[in-house]
Amino acid sequence: MTFSRRRFGCALCAMGWLALAGETSAQNLQGAEPGRYLAPGYQPAEGDEKGLWALMDRHERELKGSRFVVRDPAANAYLREVLCRLAERYCADVRVYVVRTPLFNASMAPNGMMEVWTGLLLRCRDEAQLATIIGHELGHYLRRHTLERWRDVRAKADFGIFLGMGLALAGAGWAGSLAQFALLASAFAFSRDQEREADEIGLNLMADAGYAPAATAEVWEQLLAEYQGSSAARDQSFLFATHPLPEERLDTLRKSAVARGGDGERGRARYRERLAALRPTLVADEIGLRQYGRSLIVFEKLLADAPDDGGLWFAKGEVLRLRGDAGDVELALAAYAQAVATGGAPPETWRSIGLVELKAGARDRAEKAFDAYLEAKPGAADREMLKALLSQ
Amino acid sequence: MTPPIRGTGTAVILLLLAALAGCAPFSLVTPERRTVGGAISVEPGMRWNRMEMAPYQGRVEVWTLDGPLLNSLVFFTGVPDGEPLFVSRALASDPKQEKPPVFRSAMNPLEIEELFTATIARNFRTAIVSATNLRPAEVAGTPGFRFETRFVGRDEVERAGVFVGTVRGGKLYGAWFQGARLHYYERYVPEVEKMAASARLVGEAASAR
Ligand SMILES: [Zn+2]
Repeated sequence: MTFSRRRFGCALCAMGWLALAGETSAQNLQGAEPGRYLAPGYQPAEGDEKGLWALMDRHERELKGSRFVVRDPAANAYLREVLCRLAERYCADVRVYVVRTPLFNASMAPNGMMEVWTGLLLRCRDEAQLATIIGHELGHYLRRHTLERWRDVRAKADFGIFLGMGLALAGAGWAGSLAQFALLASAFAFSRDQEREADEIGLNLMADAGYAPAATAEVWEQLLAEYQGSSAARDQSFLFATHPLPEERLDTLRKSAVARGGDGERGRARYRERLAALRPTLVADEIGLRQYGRSLIVFEKLLADAPDDGGLWFAKGEVLRLRGDAGDVELALAAYAQAVATGGAPPETWRSIGLVELKAGARDRAEKAFDAYLEAKPGAADREMLKALLSQ
Repeated sequence: MTPPIRGTGTAVILLLLAALAGCAPFSLVTPERRTVGGAISVEPGMRWNRMEMAPYQGRVEVWTLDGPLLNSLVFFTGVPDGEPLFVSRALASDPKQEKPPVFRSAMNPLEIEELFTATIARNFRTAIVSATNLRPAEVAGTPGFRFETRFVGRDEVERAGVFVGTVRGGKLYGAWFQGARLHYYERYVPEVEKMAASARLVGEAASAR
């Protein structure tokens, strides 16, 4: 994926994914020639690399205090575990931050600071898929891609333009450290070759760790399928019309996974269990995006794996209710009924049933549903409002 | 407080553009009764600043006391069926954006509250947004509703706010005051409440049901 901080949109990261498929050969870290990968415990001694790390360290200190960093201990411990399973020798060199942004993205800074966005955690279906992504980001770190990119950009004639942009921003009074960082990040967008290499390393790391290689292609398949449900002009036209042949790249990834061969662990139950405390937040943030088509595709996929998850059925119902196209009301009610049938529906399920029934003019059924909601959630702050709605 | 990032940059650039175009970015609002957007009559008790080039597109007018980064009062002057509450200028022309969620005449207060939080999430690019304490209330002399808001923008500043609204003739009228929680919100709550109490619908809004 691309190197970017949390304000860079998902389209960017998707572009990273679009660019990444490539030739993959079996080549693990241990068998590589000396100096190919960063040594464990590496610290830059001098020069531009040291400066780059210092800049990232400063940025990391800001990130540490951010309200967008997810503090959930279970989730943080889990991601660390997967990281260490993939690259035990580098476990102490890399920090993983879970950032609350409901988009599919992850990023890697040269100093070992890795960001994983919550939208990515929602979309991964098992530990093997998560391992694919962490492995890919590790690939960028191990091969010092940011430094390589930095030197590459500097050597080019357009470096002057890059500096000019910085001056223009400074003139606009917009030169906070984070703003400068954003500018640098745009210069550091990884090249297609780098993405390909990170992808190759990611596949090897995860397969070496015993995960199922097929998961690498799946992450990509899911993302492509999701874009087809998008209403954004760029996702529908630009991404698919002018960006060449995602199918071909997906095909390459599939072939690479097959070439790597063998079965492996999926870790589906563990993935669901270890992120259970975080999942209601992931789901609510996704609903809040109001990207109905995409969200439905995401929730359908998750429900296929976990048909007994009341929270996911509720989520599907919410997306349908909020979209409100012809026929959506019936579909929403069906999803809410499924949620109730699992025995694990959130209390808000009844509130939503009440809202839908009220709209349909079924006042009695609405009242029953609101009562069930208020019984399940006695301290609900909207009690008075619900009563007022019924009396209108 | 960390320096604001994206929103600030856009606001600054818009202000610069406004200045270059020869028009002042703000005009003074004196403490006397006036009509906003031809729909809402209010009597401010302080000197406010009206943004001539609002950072949002839509049926809105934006006032501020200490500058839009610290607090703002957004008037909704008749959002019709099928339109978003507002779209920030920064996002309006971004092809990567999904279609914004829109207001529907048939929406009840619960649905308007949901629409509001989704609108904030999108325009301020944040998942940290909530609305609480939704309750019926008289708004501009008509039956309406109100709720409190909280969100953290990309600048990491926590902002508190209050939204009051009413639907007349299928259109949404109301106002949202928000500011940095620690000082720039609480300090002005009495002024905002007094203004809300003074509010009356005028013109088309007054005669609609
Ligand atoms: Zn990458």
